[in-house]
Amino acid sequence: MPHTMTEKILARASGRASVRPGDEIEARPDFVIAYDFPGYTDVFFREAREEFGIDKVSSPERFVLFIDHMVPAATPKEEELHRVTRAWGAAQGVPVHERKGIGHQVSAELGYAQPGAFIVHFDGHVSQLGAFGAYAFGARKGILEGFVSETLALAVPPTIKIVLTGTLQPGVMARDVFHHMVRVMGPASCAFKAVELAGPVIDAMSIEGRQTICGQAMFLGANTMLIAPDARTFEWLQGRSLLKVEPVYPDADAVYERVVTIDVTALEPIVVVPPSPANTQDLSKHLGLEVHTGYLGSCASGRIEDLRAAADVLRGRQVKPGFQLNVVPTSQAIMVQAAREGLIEVLAQAGAFISSPTCDYCFGRIATMADGQRAVSTGTLNTPGRMGSVNSEIYLCNAAVVAASAIEGRIADPRPYLLGAA
Amino acid sequence: MSLKNLQGRVAWVFEEDDYDIDLIVGVSNIKITDLNELAALVMADRAPGFAATVQPGDLLVGGRNFGYGHPHYPAMRAMRHLGIAGVVAESFSPGFFRGEMSMGFALVTCPGIVAATQRGDALVVDWAAERVNLPARALSLPLQALSASERGMLEAGGLIPYLKLRAARAQGQTA
Repeated sequence: MPHTMTEKILARASGRASVRPGDEIEARPDFVIAYDFPGYTDVFFREAREEFGIDKVSSPERFVLFIDHMVPAATPKEEELHRVTRAWGAAQGVPVHERKGIGHQVSAELGYAQPGAFIVHFDGHVSQLGAFGAYAFGARKGILEGFVSETLALAVPPTIKIVLTGTLQPGVMARDVFHHMVRVMGPASCAFKAVELAGPVIDAMSIEGRQTICGQAMFLGANTMLIAPDARTFEWLQGRSLLKVEPVYPDADAVYERVVTIDVTALEPIVVVPPSPANTQDLSKHLGLEVHTGYLGSCASGRIEDLRAAADVLRGRQVKPGFQLNVVPTSQAIMVQAAREGLIEVLAQAGAFISSPTCDYCFGRIATMADGQRAVSTGTLNTPGRMGSVNSEIYLCNAAVVAASAIEGRIADPRPYLLGAA
Repeated sequence: MSLKNLQGRVAWVFEEDDYDIDLIVGVSNIKITDLNELAALVMADRAPGFAATVQPGDLLVGGRNFGYGHPHYPAMRAMRHLGIAGVVAESFSPGFFRGEMSMGFALVTCPGIVAATQRGDALVVDWAAERVNLPARALSLPLQALSASERGMLEAGGLIPYLKLRAARAQGQTA
């Protein structure tokens, strides 16, 4: 019988020969991944112990924790949370990684993102491990089941296939493609479904771009999003493997709930206008709008190709005086690569404020906006108040748009800079 | 076990689609864990004094894709602290749905509810009949039935009691 990747991964994880959408299964996660955050990990640790009498998690080698929010700590309470996390990891024999970058990226760098793996986290942005062909699912509170039991009960979701065709124009990046998918299909179009992404645009796309797209699956409503591994995937994964599983590929005659084809040839850079990631609009409609701050980073963007794009725009130019441009590479490894390529130098000379990796800019814990301020951002979300005052605004866009807007202090088109016309 | 019907007044109608529930307490307050502190922040921007109007058992009504964004727990923890017993919405964002059902918080998918109701209306969620009834308006709308596991989770009172129940059942089977 033909199957989607989702069905194959969940069949293996549940020890069945095959599964179908709607089947209620008990699947054993290959990895349980979390970052510490008040009300999440501290509560899971306590509940596992007090409610279920679990002093030691089963197979601690399947677990990994990241400290990537509230880094560096700004209050004793934050540092105390991190200390609890480190102590729990040490007692359980579970690795705790901190100061290496945003966990969703570092997970991939460390080898947790294996093609064919079944991975659970509480945070849905873990779906970006789907860029490597894993089924990575944000179970929210449901991750607790992974702490107290070997398996998680779940229903096999139907799979929607999205085929991206055409060619991306210069200045149009992976996140424009994702937001365009939301615009075309709708923010709830894939609710409770798995999405498998394919087509020539994906074939030609970098791993970074694939991570960017898969990581935002939740904004289509999807459980997760995955891409069949190819030569590029295996090259990236060379030397990074923590799991021996067979990669899976969709069968040519796999049954999808729906197949949607989206051509991106005419796609222009976009902006996602507040108050919701559902509001995708063409950049051209918003050119000239005054902006005060820019954020280039996050688990969605902030990878090497984003930094390269920003550096291409900013090389030999200056951030407008008074504009705050914050550049935060997604991981230490990316920061090192950027330094090696001279990108850090270009960005710093242009006036960017460059930080070590942290999640904190994305949710306004630092670089906080005051009333009436407006940001261009490559973060994940543009809810009012996410980056400071509820009376501040976030326009989500690609890294090149952030860079061009930083030069002009207004929402700007990066293409003239990239093409040498500005 | 059977699910207890919900019966309460509509405390608020969130008419907008894709509503981000973090806005209920304000995104900057999502790290607060103290319930009294959170409850005091509920709807502070859009309806000051809202908290005082809530009676135990009251319900919220939401639009399509309710809970879109990054739905953190504080907003609904605060709402429950005030006495809100559940949300009836056109549809829910999956992350929100999963998270709140694991808290044992009743979420009812009921297309047509936003147009049918106003703040203050009495609502009855009849699980057995799979209807949401609005007696004062002589209206009754179908609700979307829960899956077996969703129903089990709500009946048990949330993820923790549900997992304990399942573990006990599994043990009973092997014994």
